[in-house]
Amino acid sequence: MQEGIIVRRFLSIFKMDIINLFKNPVLIGYNTVLAALLILIMGFLCSGNYTNIKDAFQYYAVSLLVYGMLGGAITASNCFMERDIKRPNLRIIYSPVGSFPIYFSKILASFVFDYSLHILLMVILCPLLHVTLGGQPAFFILLMAPIEFVAAALGIFFCCIFHCEETTSMLLNTVRSLLCVLGGSFFSLDGMGSALAFASRLSPVKWLNDAFFALSCDNSLALFWPVFIGASVISALLVLGCRMLFRTEDYI
Amino acid sequence: MENLMTVKNLTKSFKENKVLNGISFDVRTGEVLCILGPNGAGKTTTINILTAALGSDGGEICFKGAKIGRHLRAYKQVLGIVPQDVALYDELSAERNLRFFASLYGLHGDVLTNAVNEALVFAGLDDRRHEKVKTFSGGMKRRLNIACAIAHHPELVIMDEPTVGIDPQSRNHILDSIKKLRDNGMTIIYTTHYMEEVETISSRIIIMDHGAIIAEGTKESLKEDIENEKRYIIQVEENGKIAAEQFYSIEGVKSVKINGDAIEITSLKGIENLDRIIGLLSDCGERILNITSEAASLEMVFLKLTGRKLRD
Repeated sequence: MQEGIIVRRFLSIFKMDIINLFKNPVLIGYNTVLAALLILIMGFLCSGNYTNIKDAFQYYAVSLLVYGMLGGAITASNCFMERDIKRPNLRIIYSPVGSFPIYFSKILASFVFDYSLHILLMVILCPLLHVTLGGQPAFFILLMAPIEFVAAALGIFFCCIFHCEETTSMLLNTVRSLLCVLGGSFFSLDGMGSALAFASRLSPVKWLNDAFFALSCDNSLALFWPVFIGASVISALLVLGCRMLFRTEDYI
Repeated sequence: MENLMTVKNLTKSFKENKVLNGISFDVRTGEVLCILGPNGAGKTTTINILTAALGSDGGEICFKGAKIGRHLRAYKQVLGIVPQDVALYDELSAERNLRFFASLYGLHGDVLTNAVNEALVFAGLDDRRHEKVKTFSGGMKRRLNIACAIAHHPELVIMDEPTVGIDPQSRNHILDSIKKLRDNGMTIIYTTHYMEEVETISSRIIIMDHGAIIAEGTKESLKEDIENEKRYIIQVEENGKIAAEQFYSIEGVKSVKINGDAIEITSLKGIENLDRIIGLLSDCGERILNITSEAASLEMVFLKLTGRKLRD
């Protein structure tokens, strides 16, 4: 009986978070239109570096999808502490739901929001730009899930540290851009000397790119499980971190 | 009336800044307890601690005799909170906001629907239930803000300055609503820095300043001390020719405060000395522009206790 009430309350909060996200045109545009434009522009501009424009689109569809997935942290921080959302969220703090549903619902809602939009993006772009997700697209889609979840959990985790959406978004955006440049999301550093190639290999984004390229271009599952398990473990640790750091008084 | 809540020695500091200095008070079942004080008095911090959103450094809060920390969920279940800022989802309708916030208290099905309908009628927004909150006026938002706090029929409603920045018509509607809640037996803690609101709705008053309770009682008992006093506020053209000490030679004058071109004189009620005050001002060459006289009010109580006006 008690469990039923707790689940119902959690679902109620989760549903509200999802509604709020899907009513935010900026976040929807950022995750779909802007991402698609970025892939098209980068593919078109850098097509000279590839055998043909199809290969360029293949590269940027995958690498910029990883870039977009990591942007889920910004979605999550917005969903958690954006000024207009924070005030009504305060009522959740006042209610008898406990603190876990408050931040976990935001993580889950941001994950569902970003994951579904990115799947939609790939469903539209793949036939249009002749991008392939490999012989087993289900694995590609499945591997996206823990990455999206890590990003969402990271956004909430940093909000729990800084208690501020603007600071969290600015910091995570800067770190993401840096890691993505190093990881070759915008242009590969592999052919730019051994030092840059080494620096590139230090970026986790490079590992993610390699895993998704292995799936889409080589039909190889060699990196699937390490990335899947690694991201799942990090997700669990981040949720645990939120549990330790989240204090209701930081929200008021 | 029996005690619903007992607060003992509540203290709170933010870094070096001591915001609450060991305040204690009771809340009685069915009363409207007004916490009155200027900005920075510690009202909102007190409210945040009472709502369990903020921890205290010391002291305890008992609800129906039990410490709230041990029964936090049960305590929050019977609590309704109206925060100082309007806490609503702008993109959603009034009904949807109410449904969501009431559902957090475990209401569902027909009970939820009835509670939402009741709350909408209470707020006078029944005919606009499907409209988005962002289309509402400030007063309507404030009314809905209160409705969201009472939809689940709480035993204790805590309102933190719920009428800030709204038009007089909406303010009256809100004050009438609070009287209705009180008449229905709900206990209300209400913070404000508007004296008129306290005069209208309070059963008892706590006056706070600098994190401490400086007076407590009904409005009648608080005014008792100053019941035999009156206050003149004299506006002069260009003050500077007279010192406050000069007025003390006039019989009945208890205190004098010169504030720019305004001279505030507190005098004993039974002694007619206005002609002598005017005479003194004329003798000193002051040109009087206006004289007003005030009977005992909470504003005067506050002035007497703190030496300054509530909105100074």
